[in-house]
Amino acid sequence: MNLLDIDNLHVKLEDEDRDIIRGLSLTVKPGEVHAIMGPNGSGKSTLSYVLAGREGYEVTEGSVTFKGEDLLEMSPDQRAAKGVFLAFQYPIEIPGVATMQFLKVALNSQRKARGEKELSTPDFMRMVKEKAAKLNVSPDMLKRPVNVGFSGGEKKRAEILQMAVLEPSLCILDETDSGLDIDALRVVADGVNALRSPDRAMIVITHYQRLLDYIVPDFVHVLSKGRIVKSGDKHLALELEEKGYAEFTESAA
Amino acid sequence: MSTVIARTAAEEALGFQLPNRRMEDWRWTDLRQLIDKPYPPRQHVMAKPADVERLVASSLFAGVAATRMVFVNGEYDAKHSKQANAFVESTAAIDDPVNLMNVAFATDGARLRIEGNVDTPIELVFISTDASPRTVATRNVIEIADDASATIIETHLGEGSYLASSVMEIRIGHNARLDRIKVELESHDAVHLAHCHVIVGRNVTFRDFTLTTGAKLNRQNGTFRFIGEFADAKISGAFLLAGKQHADTALVVDHEVPNCASRELFKCVMDDHARGIFQGKVIVRPGAQKTDGKQSSHALLLTETAEFDAKPELEIYADDVACGHGATSGDLNHDHVFYLKSRGIPEAEAKALLIAAFVGEAFDTVHQDGIRTALEDFAARWLTEHGRKR
Repeated sequence: MNLLDIDNLHVKLEDEDRDIIRGLSLTVKPGEVHAIMGPNGSGKSTLSYVLAGREGYEVTEGSVTFKGEDLLEMSPDQRAAKGVFLAFQYPIEIPGVATMQFLKVALNSQRKARGEKELSTPDFMRMVKEKAAKLNVSPDMLKRPVNVGFSGGEKKRAEILQMAVLEPSLCILDETDSGLDIDALRVVADGVNALRSPDRAMIVITHYQRLLDYIVPDFVHVLSKGRIVKSGDKHLALELEEKGYAEFTESAA
Repeated sequence: MSTVIARTAAEEALGFQLPNRRMEDWRWTDLRQLIDKPYPPRQHVMAKPADVERLVASSLFAGVAATRMVFVNGEYDAKHSKQANAFVESTAAIDDPVNLMNVAFATDGARLRIEGNVDTPIELVFISTDASPRTVATRNVIEIADDASATIIETHLGEGSYLASSVMEIRIGHNARLDRIKVELESHDAVHLAHCHVIVGRNVTFRDFTLTTGAKLNRQNGTFRFIGEFADAKISGAFLLAGKQHADTALVVDHEVPNCASRELFKCVMDDHARGIFQGKVIVRPGAQKTDGKQSSHALLLTETAEFDAKPELEIYADDVACGHGATSGDLNHDHVFYLKSRGIPEAEAKALLIAAFVGEAFDTVHQDGIRTALEDFAARWLTEHGRKR
């Protein structure tokens, strides 16, 4: 069965008329890693937000099916419990909510929604500390409020830690490479690669090919003006790096 | 002006002209209009022992080890008190209507002199039992000796309809530490008018936290005077208001000498038609150089009908100081709510978590774990009742 089926999706901002996503179709099977590349304004971030369920967008046409169910009917927390995870391009700072507490409430909310038993505090702490160590997330960061005062790299590592703790079946990485130096990028990519599994799929949204040196995709799609204009394997990314997006932005016009 | 305005029934019963909106400090809290029935003073009310027991037990800190001093309907209750009064004189200036009324009507109050390091918190419990509407007034004087340290809790509780007038005079000696935690948990049919005068000596550490959540009408004045250098005062508070509650806190922090630091932080959560007001004035007197005075008030409005007004004022007569103020008011941040939801936390829980986090910052002033936990537990219960009903 397909994990995700996006069929002829059209999306606009609620208070604007112009479609941002204009007839996008994409099928993702478990275990696959899809890269979506495209210039600024092609609709990459909109796609990630629509899949995560952010308010402010309106789907005017098409459908999104996740594990056989209508994803668009679900609230963001239901989507998360069902296995959708969006790693934000700009992770949000939440003052006053300790990272550890946030992770615990999030995981146990998801488990509760799925009818699973909540994890005990000692089991939970052990699991988080183990995963945090692998991502160079210090115990001090876990005590601090979510993302508050974290550097760019720390924020991205914290996002990947959340992903590792919540174990989603579909990971959407929105420009995870932005603002990272090469060392930070490597840590993040290692974290992501460690999560690759036959049951888990990933959609890696990026402007640059660089990230795909570390997270090697099975498929690469070029997004331009709200639709996928070309698909290929990892070599397409290299081609884009060489030639730029000009060819696609013009052909899609 | 007072000669031409006829006294209201409430003023008639008190024998005092109440402050009104034509007075700048009272523009949002016009007591002539808001106090709409007589609360005659100096009424002797015999309390039923069961009522007293119940109210004493309903203090948020009933489970915290403390030396208690209980005042019932404005009078010292020896049976429920472990601490007796000392002889300390009232010295604060009697300069405003709340003070004037209190001086005229106070029947009793705590008189304490603290020496040495007092580890066990002292809880002053002020109780008003259910009886016909009346004014219940206490005037309290606390002296913290040089080099002494203490934690003093003030709990105000009650049932039925009354006007509680509470004045607290605190003098903190040199090198001393005082933590003051006040909880205003009056009956929802009560009026609470309070004034707290604090004189802060040299090299003092003073931490003050007030939770305002009871009473239909609350006005709390505070005057904090720095009279010795190198003192540090943290003054914080939380409002948890709902229904038609009205709470107005007006503070004056007066830096009379150089090298002192003051921090004011108020976090206000307003539900339904509640109205919160924070007026904060920081004065830096001539010569009070190196003053570090910051003030901020932040409100979270859970409904469109709730209201928050802030009036920050800085009066600075010295040129080498760092002073600032900030005030915000608004709804929960939608990006925060979405971020939590995107991680699987349902909307109601996400909001409760965010509101608790918002208020929680004000609790940071409370360093005693047991006391802080009791405050957090209360806030959590309040938020469950009010924050989640939507």
